Amino acid sequence: MVGRAKRILIVCGTAIATSTMVAMKVEDLLKKNGIKAEIRRALTSEARTASKDVDLIIATTQVQDVSVPVISGIPFITGIGVDKVEQEILSRLRDG
Amino acid sequence: MDAIKAIYDFITGFGPSVMMPIIITILGLILGAQFGRAIRAGITVGIGFIGINLVIGLLMGALGPVAQGMVQNWHVQLTYIDVGWPAQAAIAFGTKIGSVIFVVGILVNLIMLVFKLTKTVDVDLWNYWHWAMTGSLIYIATGSFVLGVIGSVIHAVYTLVIADLTAPTIQKYFKWPDLSISQGWATTSMIIIWPVLKLCDLLGIDKGAEATDESDLAKLRERIGILGEPVLIGLILGLIVGAMAFVPAGLSIKDLLTKILTTAMSMAATMLLMPRVVAILMEGLVPISDQARKFLQSRFAGREFYIGMDSALMIGDPLTLTVGFLLVPITLILAVILPGNHLLPFGDLAATPFFVCLATPMSRGRFWRTLISGTVVMIIIMYMGSIWSPLLTQAAKSVGYAFPEGTANIGGFANPLGWILVMISKLLFGK
Repeated sequence: MVGRAKRILIVCGTAIATSTMVAMKVEDLLKKNGIKAEIRRALTSEARTASKDVDLIIATTQVQDVSVPVISGIPFITGIGVDKVEQEILSRLRDG
Repeated sequence: MDAIKAIYDFITGFGPSVMMPIIITILGLILGAQFGRAIRAGITVGIGFIGINLVIGLLMGALGPVAQGMVQNWHVQLTYIDVGWPAQAAIAFGTKIGSVIFVVGILVNLIMLVFKLTKTVDVDLWNYWHWAMTGSLIYIATGSFVLGVIGSVIHAVYTLVIADLTAPTIQKYFKWPDLSISQGWATTSMIIIWPVLKLCDLLGIDKGAEATDESDLAKLRERIGILGEPVLIGLILGLIVGAMAFVPAGLSIKDLLTKILTTAMSMAATMLLMPRVVAILMEGLVPISDQARKFLQSRFAGREFYIGMDSALMIGDPLTLTVGFLLVPITLILAVILPGNHLLPFGDLAATPFFVCLATPMSRGRFWRTLISGTVVMIIIMYMGSIWSPLLTQAAKSVGYAFPEGTANIGGFANPLGWILVMISKLLFGK
């Protein structure tokens, strides 16, 4: 995977509301940790098509029919358990 | 008091693309955001408004002649074009009621928490637009700002109460921690879903059935998954309505193809662009939402409460998604065959899972119950939408959304509770 930035797909029910919130938080997280990654957004109903060439999905809703690791983004909205999910995202991006 | 009113009238007089940035900035500062962050949030919201205006212009420009052609050739009176909930949200936030909705909503929530009338801390500010819509249409129907605010308050109180009531079932079904769904549409769908499920009980539909198996649903989705891709829905629907409108006009092949394909592309474009521009508006609301969450959570720390969330969290459920896909053709067929319907479903075809998202946990994952609930919901809110769309058009005009005069008007699916409140106000206090 050398030479290309990681791609993260943020998935929610609308590709508008909760995914925007999560995308902004993830952008901040990446910037703080000096990680370059491309962030895309999709509806959960489009997730299967949209996830073809991404490395990680962060979703605020249930995601079906995909073969990419999925992390729950709900902590970013509730504000509870943010540290844990941030660590999980970082370790995924660093290892994978 | 007069001075406050004068300042308020002065600010709202600028129109939403100027008013919203000012209001969001002030609200951000009150809730304790830094000045830079607050003003950036305000400006972003304003840009979202301007973007939405452009996309509504594109949609109405493309669909105006189409609606006219369908009326002339087929006598299909679907003259109110469903602009979809994102545009409805922008209209609702842009009105005078919308300008105070965050303050009203947070106060209602705060008061109810203090008096232990709700356990839900509704941090989903985005969805305050549903309350704003109810209030805005009451304001337009009656001319009374106070009645409008009362309508929004009733809708907000109802939302928080139903969020509490549905929370245990939802948490169990989705295996969630202390969340509730305090979204102003989903909660009102319970008015329809509860009776339908009761009726299913009486008729023995899905009786004793287990939750429908995910592998069966996956097979079904495999075949109809295309209905989950808004751009393709827009394109295909554009081809169909374009052909209906322009084929009988006797144009040359080249002109005919140009018109049909342009309609299809414009509709596909709307489906992709609308969420993008509305997301800009949302981006501006994030800092405000964050501050409101911190503000409320810090005040009620240590007490047991639910965090009120957007129903978008439930949309990915396999059953909700599958039934949502099925509702796309069902809704279109219903729109054409239901007598007296004037709403042409379009924008919300990208959001059909939302209309059944509470039916799934409430029917404990049973397919037929969810599908029947969804179909009944669509029929009712389409008729309600036909009736309230003229008010919606007026609301859109009042906030300066520009679209060509003609056969086509702005329409949308109605919120069941909002509709009832608007109709009662109109009956009792109508202009």
